[in-house]
Amino acid sequence: MVISNLEGEIASKEGERKRKRKGEVRPSQSKWRLDSEQKTYSSKLLEALRCVRAGAPAEPSRTRAVREAANRALAMAARGQTRWSRAILSSRTLKLTAAKRRRAAASRLKRSGGASQEKKRPPAIQRKARVLGKLVPGCRQLSFPKLLEETSDYIAALEMQVRAMSALSEILSSIGSGSGAPPPA
Amino acid sequence: MSSRRSRSRQSSSSRITEEQINDLVSKLQTILPEARIRSNDRVSAAKVLQETCNYIKSLHREADDLSERLSELLATTDMSSSQAAIIRSLLMQ
Repeated sequence: MVISNLEGEIASKEGERKRKRKGEVRPSQSKWRLDSEQKTYSSKLLEALRCVRAGAPAEPSRTRAVREAANRALAMAARGQTRWSRAILSSRTLKLTAAKRRRAAASRLKRSGGASQEKKRPPAIQRKARVLGKLVPGCRQLSFPKLLEETSDYIAALEMQVRAMSALSEILSSIGSGSGAPPPA
Repeated sequence: MSSRRSRSRQSSSSRITEEQINDLVSKLQTILPEARIRSNDRVSAAKVLQETCNYIKSLHREADDLSERLSELLATTDMSSSQAAIIRSLLMQ
């Protein structure tokens, strides 16, 4: 796999950085690729999904509850070391949906009026960086270097989340089809 | 007022040199799946940032689809009786 070659490069660069900055703990992005990490996450996710199921919500909110459970479990796996994970854990559902509505309204207004003036002043990179800051939770006001750092970790974590959720749905669907072994007595 | 604010944002970001930006962006490029970046040298920083945004959005969409699938499976799978089997399968992967 290509990613495994780059892992060493990233890890060594992280080692350099750690020596330069004394008290600062940099999040290690390569942990998201560890098998053990994914297995731990999958177990936690399964527990959380059981709670969702017990709550017996109706369809549209159940999918959202699953997504939120997956995100919360992912954020907890980060162990408080990244801004995006802390932002996920400290936000509540109601705040999220209200904030989304406000953001959607604000972006609609921006696009309709005064958009031509806005585009000329900030260069393309700053514009894209702002968009990126909106995509990564809790990273709107971050400096450029910090934003990219959070982004790298967030992407690695999301990739693990997708892998874990795929694996879990494969298992659940194979069990559901009746081919699962009966539990030991 | 808003012009002062945006100018101060620009002056704080100009303390970061363009070289630093390109350096950081090229590191980010290594995270992105190779299929999205055609040639490794001639990709501009803006393009890498754009690709990053697109990649995150596609990961979000994948997670949403998987959430929907898991939600359906949750409703139909009898998890209480197959608990051990699920965990065993997870750990054996």
